[in-house]
Amino acid sequence: MTSSEILDVSIRSLYVAGTATLLASSWSLVLAFLLASKPRLRPIASILESLVGIPTVLVGLLLYMLLSREGPLGVLELLYTPQAIILGEAILVTPLITSVAYRVIKGSIETYGELALTLGASRLQVIATVLLESIHGVVASIIMGFSRAIGELGVALLVGGGIKGYTRTLTTAIALEVSRGRFEEAIYMGLVLVVIVASISVVARILWLREQY
Amino acid sequence: MVEGAVLIEITKMWFRYPGGNWVFEDVDVVFRRNETTIVAGPNGSGKTTLLKIAGLIYRPTRGRVVVNGANPWSSASRLLEARRKIVYVHEKPILFRGTVYDNIAYGLRVRGISREDIGRAVERIASELSIEDILWRDSRSLSSGQAQLVALARALVLDPQMILLDEPLAHLDREKKKLFMKYLDKISLAGIGIVIATHDTYITRRIADRIVLVENRKLVETTSTELLG
Repeated sequence: MTSSEILDVSIRSLYVAGTATLLASSWSLVLAFLLASKPRLRPIASILESLVGIPTVLVGLLLYMLLSREGPLGVLELLYTPQAIILGEAILVTPLITSVAYRVIKGSIETYGELALTLGASRLQVIATVLLESIHGVVASIIMGFSRAIGELGVALLVGGGIKGYTRTLTTAIALEVSRGRFEEAIYMGLVLVVIVASISVVARILWLREQY
Repeated sequence: MVEGAVLIEITKMWFRYPGGNWVFEDVDVVFRRNETTIVAGPNGSGKTTLLKIAGLIYRPTRGRVVVNGANPWSSASRLLEARRKIVYVHEKPILFRGTVYDNIAYGLRVRGISREDIGRAVERIASELSIEDILWRDSRSLSSGQAQLVALARALVLDPQMILLDEPLAHLDREKKKLFMKYLDKISLAGIGIVIATHDTYITRRIADRIVLVENRKLVETTSTELLG
């Protein structure tokens, strides 16, 4: 595998995981706010928390069955496309982003929501204040989601197929190189992945600490 | 003392937290302008809850709360209007992110007051409470005493008709307590109603016009002599 090919799969991994994370964030943050502000919905938060560690291969399998030609969404012809991986990874990281953001926003509502009310804020101003006060934790939840998306293999392999120059990501490329016995390339790409994930984790940790103090 | 106009009237009020026991049963109480009321009672008796009901943060489970003759819980706009006349200050000071200035300015900003007027009001209150030297400090770098004064300044800058203070002297040293008491005298003379939940005998002896004791889910009017012996 050449350097340009490694660069290509790295960029694709960043694109796919980044888009999936943004997509998941768009609904996860709204859901997190609703769960945090409406006590009646809190059982849903417990269910989502239990789904944080769902095996990636299971999500991949379910999505494969949905997107395959015989599946209910087969007509969309998404199987073995980057869009399929994006969709699968977005589903995969939704419980993680929602659960972490829910905890952060719930704490913020309890502390700052009441405070804003006592100082005469309107309902919209209270919501804005709560979100502003929890921004670091919310961003940390998004980064955690990205970290999980870029490092997963099950979804990318099952619904992406690891097609060269089209759906091959760092994780599927590593799996392929190992199956071919090319451990040096696999380790090199593994290091690239580790650097990306570690950098993201450091940023998330810093933001999370800022949220706590 | 001439009785001030009733600002908050609580009638036949019952309150309990979701799934909990009754904290108050059939309670009647009024809080007036020009009057300093001390709410006394043992820990866990419901002093903070009473202040939060009067401050329109909690809605009574049963009964009525009337502010300036109107039911604030009848519509969102009435509730906001009434809340802007009453300020509740937490026992443990909670500060927003940002500077001390940002914190004090918060309530004025949400009321849509101009930046210039906010600047003048913040500087005035900071000077009166002797915290002008920390105005640009990060709110999270303050000591608990400084944070308490900032929380008080943030409430007082709004010129409320009534201020509800939950253990306001808890984190203040002797010097700051004196300064704060002096300021309470001043706002009391200006006609602002003050309700203080406290265990502090000094504050009770010094400024109470009226004492309300929370006991067995009821409120009992008492005097400082009866309360403190």
